Amino acid sequence: MTGLNLQKVFRPVKKELKPPKYKLMTEAQLEEATRKAIEEAKEKLIMPPVLNEREPIDDVLAEDKFLEGTETTKYVFTDLTYSIPHRERFIVVREPNGILRKATWEERDRMIQIFFPKEGRRVIPPVVFKDEHLVTVFQQDRHEDILNMCIAQFEPDSPDYIRVHHRTYDDIEKHAKYDLLRSTRHFGGMVWYLLNKKKTDGLLIDMIHRDLLDDATSLITLYHMLHPECQSANEAKERKLQGVDLIKIFVKTESQREGYIQLALQAYEEAMATSTAS
Amino acid sequence: MVQLGSRLLKGYRGGHVVIRFALGGCTNRPFYRIVAAHSRRARDGKYLEQLGCLDPLPNAHGERVAGLNLERLRHWLGCGAQLSRPAEKLLGLAGFLPLHPMTVTGAERLRRRRAQEAVAPPTDGSPGDAP
Repeated sequence: MTGLNLQKVFRPVKKELKPPKYKLMTEAQLEEATRKAIEEAKEKLIMPPVLNEREPIDDVLAEDKFLEGTETTKYVFTDLTYSIPHRERFIVVREPNGILRKATWEERDRMIQIFFPKEGRRVIPPVVFKDEHLVTVFQQDRHEDILNMCIAQFEPDSPDYIRVHHRTYDDIEKHAKYDLLRSTRHFGGMVWYLLNKKKTDGLLIDMIHRDLLDDATSLITLYHMLHPECQSANEAKERKLQGVDLIKIFVKTESQREGYIQLALQAYEEAMATSTAS
Repeated sequence: MVQLGSRLLKGYRGGHVVIRFALGGCTNRPFYRIVAAHSRRARDGKYLEQLGCLDPLPNAHGERVAGLNLERLRHWLGCGAQLSRPAEKLLGLAGFLPLHPMTVTGAERLRRRRAQEAVAPPTDGSPGDAP
């Protein structure tokens, strides 16, 4: 359903200016090059992980109350062994009141970024990710850029990552800007979120308008897989419907914007009839 | 140049490996590197390996950041390295070693001094107020 639009996937990213290279190829070489391009594009379109929010850490290792008052600020100790994964690294905090505890997730992320810097990530998350500034980003239609930045900055199970993603998807759904994410790796995540919230009507309408009926049917099959107890799922299983009938059953039972979807379906069918007739 | 070469390959008589702090940074801005070096070397001179760092000044979040390469630390301790007293205290605070007794003693002394100061000024203040 993500769609494979080569022009958009390999759209020129802002890099240094180089003059374009022209190659002279035979038909076979051109096919080979297109095939390789499609494979590379498929790799670029792999969906980033969707995880639940992580549990906060509060584990006390030692309590030494008699140290209270000796220091005014806390100590953060990080284990710098190179060969252990970041998730298993020991990062402990000795508070001024003498408690030795494990560091919170935010402290962990900051320390790991200080000692093992990753490209595209800042020690303190940029101010863009606050809600009031996300609004400005959405007004400029730069949803894809902010999602890429979010993936670079946060871990997939951090609350900030989830919050930014949910806000972006909500905004896209509110203004029906589904096409912005169509040939990117964020499309899958958006569809998953909308399916969980059962807000799939706008997406359906958009797909029917663009004559992507296969995508619409796969969307509805996914919906039935996720919510097998709903009425349309049972009816579809009994009658083993395919294609347009599936959409019609879904529209009748589950959707809120029935009128719109039926209008769109009618327009599509008329267009199909005229094109086959002519 | 031959004169430099012989100076760099200096051999020492006696001495042992220590894990201690090497001071760096600028004026009024210290920065310690936790370092395994020969005991006879200069404090900031050539060391065997850097095992971590400590920033004694608190950062924007009010924390003093310290990094320790525990794997290499264990290796050097296994080779028979000794620790300087501040290094022992730091590792005690970190939880890698048990708490140093001087940390406990220092805390008790501080508490006793603060208790004395809390008691003393009222007794000094009242005779001063009375004419």
